[in-house]
Amino acid sequence: MDHAPRPLASTRSPSPPPEAPAAGAATPADPGRRDFLGAAFTIAGGAVVLLAGLDAAASGETHVPPPGGDAYNWEEHRWAYVIDTSKCIGCGSCVRGCKAENDVPDGFVRTWVERYIVGPGGSYVDSPKGGLDGFPPVPTAFTPTKSFFVPKMCNHCKETPCVQVCPVGASYRTKDGVVLVDGKSCIGCGYCVQACPYGSRFLNPATHTAEKCTWCYHRITKGLKPACVEVCPTGTRAFGDMMREDDPVRQTIDHERVSILQAHLLTEPQCFYLHLDMEVR
Amino acid sequence: MEHARHVFRIALVLLVVITAIFLGRGFLVPRSYGTFGPYRADNVAEQMKIRPPAHAGAASCAPCHKAKSEAHDAGGHKAVSCEVCHAPLLRHVTNGTVSGKMPVDRSFTLCARCHRRIQGRPDKFPQVILEQHVTSKLEGAVCLDCHDPHSPKP
Repeated sequence: MDHAPRPLASTRSPSPPPEAPAAGAATPADPGRRDFLGAAFTIAGGAVVLLAGLDAAASGETHVPPPGGDAYNWEEHRWAYVIDTSKCIGCGSCVRGCKAENDVPDGFVRTWVERYIVGPGGSYVDSPKGGLDGFPPVPTAFTPTKSFFVPKMCNHCKETPCVQVCPVGASYRTKDGVVLVDGKSCIGCGYCVQACPYGSRFLNPATHTAEKCTWCYHRITKGLKPACVEVCPTGTRAFGDMMREDDPVRQTIDHERVSILQAHLLTEPQCFYLHLDMEVR
Repeated sequence: MEHARHVFRIALVLLVVITAIFLGRGFLVPRSYGTFGPYRADNVAEQMKIRPPAHAGAASCAPCHKAKSEAHDAGGHKAVSCEVCHAPLLRHVTNGTVSGKMPVDRSFTLCARCHRRIQGRPDKFPQVILEQHVTSKLEGAVCLDCHDPHSPKP
């Protein structure tokens, strides 16, 4: 049985026939290799074109309503955040407010405050518990000439490294500009935690899924401000809509000299900073 | 016809593989995946109602605590929302009815978080060196002996 094809192949190989006679001589039971491959590719190609067409037709026909229903249209907003570091007093109200609002597990923070103490002789940076309980006085080995607080959080980048590395599509950026994690899809691999250059993500020890600042998506879609902005006593933090021309945050970004963190990474953060020192990364 | 059996065999295997891929995809890929992009679209609506908003803002306290609220709005702490020193409204009121006691922190540590002189604070922000400012023992509600937190003198 398995010897059968061999004599056939050997009888054919010594006399390589020109194309036309071979095709003509082929009987229906013995098609030439060329014919067989040709037919196979034709059928496969046809199937691919058919499937692609079906897919395109399916996606083109249905118009999907925005996920918020009538109450909130995500195509009418594009959120942005402004942090004026010169106003921050390092009280940590934002960190506590975020924890209370979002049930952030112990030992982790979605937003935090860093303190920079800088002088000609050196620099010192700290963020005890992310600033949850405020900051203590610290002795420094050098004489500081300037010191300031910098609140940090997810930058909700337009070009998100974290979304790009997610292998299961659990991280995504909404049309209104918020980077979110789908806890049901997340497999807890931690790629996004490593990919984020700002250290904004962590793995929740209870759910074993990635977690991060959502700009309080459950609040902003109801017309409220994020909790951190709500409780900031000095107006350091501001949240606004880039699609509203009279929005104070948009006005600041359009007219003031704003900076972003780690601009060289081209992640296009949507958290903008005022009075940011070069020491801050 | 004998040689065609190879073709049929391979076609059958291919058919089985393709069917398995489509069936597996149907089971594993969530229904709303891909509606707006490479993610589960249903999650957007889920995120919108993931939990009720806890913070309600200073204006929500005024209806019940009129006197305190008015004193607060006229004083040096008017920019400080009630929920900064107390707790989110949800701890105290649920669906319009009082559901729990609002925490009241009278300790000096609460005041110190903002007003203790430490490196990092803007110079013009009112702050004190605790150990020099308080001559008595630094404990408990020592700040409240002299200061009214709802309406402190500037």
